[in-house]
Amino acid sequence: MSSGGFGGGGRFGGGGRGGSDKDKGGRGGKDQGKRYFFRRRKVCKFCADKIDYIDYKDVKVLQAFVPERGKVLPRRMFGTCAEHQRKLTLAIKRARHIALLPFAAE
Amino acid sequence: MSDRVYEIIFIADPNLAEPDVDALTTHVQGYVEKDGGRIQKIEKWGKKRLAYVIGKHREGYYVLIVFEGPGSVVKEVERRMKVTDGIVKFLTVRVDEDLRKAERRKARRVVEDEKRRGRGTSRPTPGPEGEGVAL
Repeated sequence: MSSGGFGGGGRFGGGGRGGSDKDKGGRGGKDQGKRYFFRRRKVCKFCADKIDYIDYKDVKVLQAFVPERGKVLPRRMFGTCAEHQRKLTLAIKRARHIALLPFAAE
Repeated sequence: MSDRVYEIIFIADPNLAEPDVDALTTHVQGYVEKDGGRIQKIEKWGKKRLAYVIGKHREGYYVLIVFEGPGSVVKEVERRMKVTDGIVKFLTVRVDEDLRKAERRKARRVVEDEKRRGRGTSRPTPGPEGEGVAL
């Protein structure tokens, strides 16, 4: 098999000139998705739900983005887009001020 | 100059009786109106558990007031609220701009959706042509 692989390599060069694109694609494998771990692409929940205004009064929504400890988590955790993360952070801070959300868990 | 929309949310002492909270709300409403603010909405959320202890209190009576007026109102109202007994904590947020932005985005999205839908219906038309060429 390994010798076949070498042969294939040789053929690959020729194949390129010969114009056998299928072989090239298979060997090159640059764009083979299977090589990478499959990771579910996270979509910003606010974009998906078309929420334009993140209300600090809406504790239910905010709580979904705040863990028990009460921290603001980084964007990578929820996949929120930059714009909505900014707004979310502000909303969380306002909610904390009027004791709708904790600053830190007791 | 121009009037803006603000919302004040304050936490009243939970030991107050319901009528007292109402009286307090009327007081605050009075502060707002005295300085030329126009009340748009008053919402009483009732007693809620606070997320953390504020000056011995574990609970609070939430009241939301939305009003329109110049910024000077906020200054005066906040000053008065600070010296009013029975108000545990308050927060004032200017909301007109954010709401307007949200409104604009919504409007833009409607337009874009329509455009997309328009393209969606036009797509099948060149479709058969393409098939014709392939054949």
